Amino acid sequence: MDREQLIHKWLNHELTPEEFEAFKSLDDYEELMKLSQNIQSYKAPSYDLNQELAIALNRKNGTSKKRSWMVPFMKFAAVLVICLGIFYVLTTQPTSTHTAIAERAELELPDDSHVTLNALSNLTYNKNNWNKERKVSLDGEAFFKVEKGSKFEVITNFGIVSVLGTQFNIKQREHFFEVTCYEGSVNVLYKQKNTVLKKGDTFLIIDGEILATEKENKKQPSWLDYLSSFKSMPFREVIAEMERQYDVSIKVKGMDLKTPFTGSFPNNNLEVALKTISKPLQLNVKQKGQTIILTRD
Amino acid sequence: MPKDLQDHICDDALFSKAFRTHADHLYKFLFYKFGSQLNPKDKVQEAFIKLWENCKKVPPSKAKSYLFTVANNLMLNEVAHQKIVLKHQQTQQRSHSNESPEFLMQEKEYQEKLENAINNLSEAQRVAFLMNRAEGKKFKEIAFILDISVKAVEKRIYGALEKLRKDIKEI
Repeated sequence: MDREQLIHKWLNHELTPEEFEAFKSLDDYEELMKLSQNIQSYKAPSYDLNQELAIALNRKNGTSKKRSWMVPFMKFAAVLVICLGIFYVLTTQPTSTHTAIAERAELELPDDSHVTLNALSNLTYNKNNWNKERKVSLDGEAFFKVEKGSKFEVITNFGIVSVLGTQFNIKQREHFFEVTCYEGSVNVLYKQKNTVLKKGDTFLIIDGEILATEKENKKQPSWLDYLSSFKSMPFREVIAEMERQYDVSIKVKGMDLKTPFTGSFPNNNLEVALKTISKPLQLNVKQKGQTIILTRD
Repeated sequence: MPKDLQDHICDDALFSKAFRTHADHLYKFLFYKFGSQLNPKDKVQEAFIKLWENCKKVPPSKAKSYLFTVANNLMLNEVAHQKIVLKHQQTQQRSHSNESPEFLMQEKEYQEKLENAINNLSEAQRVAFLMNRAEGKKFKEIAFILDISVKAVEKRIYGALEKLRKDIKEI
């Protein structure tokens, strides 16, 4: 038997006693035996099968017991969380009212306070919190008739208008902010400065500047009677208001848009409205569908 | 291959039978592949708990490959953080106490070289070789445990032997 076969049999633990004698006479017998003997110290520690099985059975029963009530419980908990979440979202969502171009809305707040919303405006308030604080957010123009009670606040991008019980109008545009008080008194907080308005007073900001205005004698803003009125307003504000009241786009040529304009136009007759603003300024009117072009001779 | 009578293993008797058949082999496999620092005993336990949790999906014939795959993955998750080192057991009994200091030093040197050489083997070579030498298993038994052919086992063992002898001879 040759060397290769002997080593193969030795490795496979199948040497007969006679073959082992032959194996002993190989040159590298000593080296192989030394290696093999030393390898013994790398033997894995003994594995107590019965003890390990007992542990495994114990653990598996523990986990299955736990799972049996955990799974339905978790399902129940998940449904509960989702229900609570939906309930929370539905009940605490603020109420929002939005008007489109040429549209207006009248709404009653939870305390019977009355709001009229002009075209292209947005009013948001929280029904659930109403008893704690009367607070609404406004973007656009609205007229308020506030019932007497605790402080009533209107939050706008320009400042906070707060009152106790009164009638007032807020007009908020991109470069423009106007609060007019028609009854009682109103406090306007603008840039950390409080201004108190009495009946007939107007608080006006154009391009960040506070401007003085005349006393207002009317009982309510003219837009409630479908009339947009302006007193020394830049002409661009007049154009912008007309675009909000009628669904049109207006272009002006050959004229400074900052020219002051005093007057008013009706909100329910485009033809008359165009005449009202073009005649005093000697403008020519051209209408192409939804586009109106005003030019100066 | 005989068809399974059971298509699942959700039964205490079947589970215990699978444990008695595979646990020891799995433990040895993990020990020789990953060493003792990563707790091969725990990984065996975890693999069997996973088997029980998925017992409906695993028929007895698939239990072995399932267990080996799960345990191997459990190890690999940890192995990224630790380097594998197999250490020889220091508890080896000394039969002779009258050895000369030179001999003791040579022995120590040899053992150090051997340890390095074993850790330099590929995982496949190390598992096959230590199962053969330390556990005294025949090629056929190892082939069965590792689910590979006898030829492949022989190749790994011869490769390991050659590499060890070469590494030890080098100074």
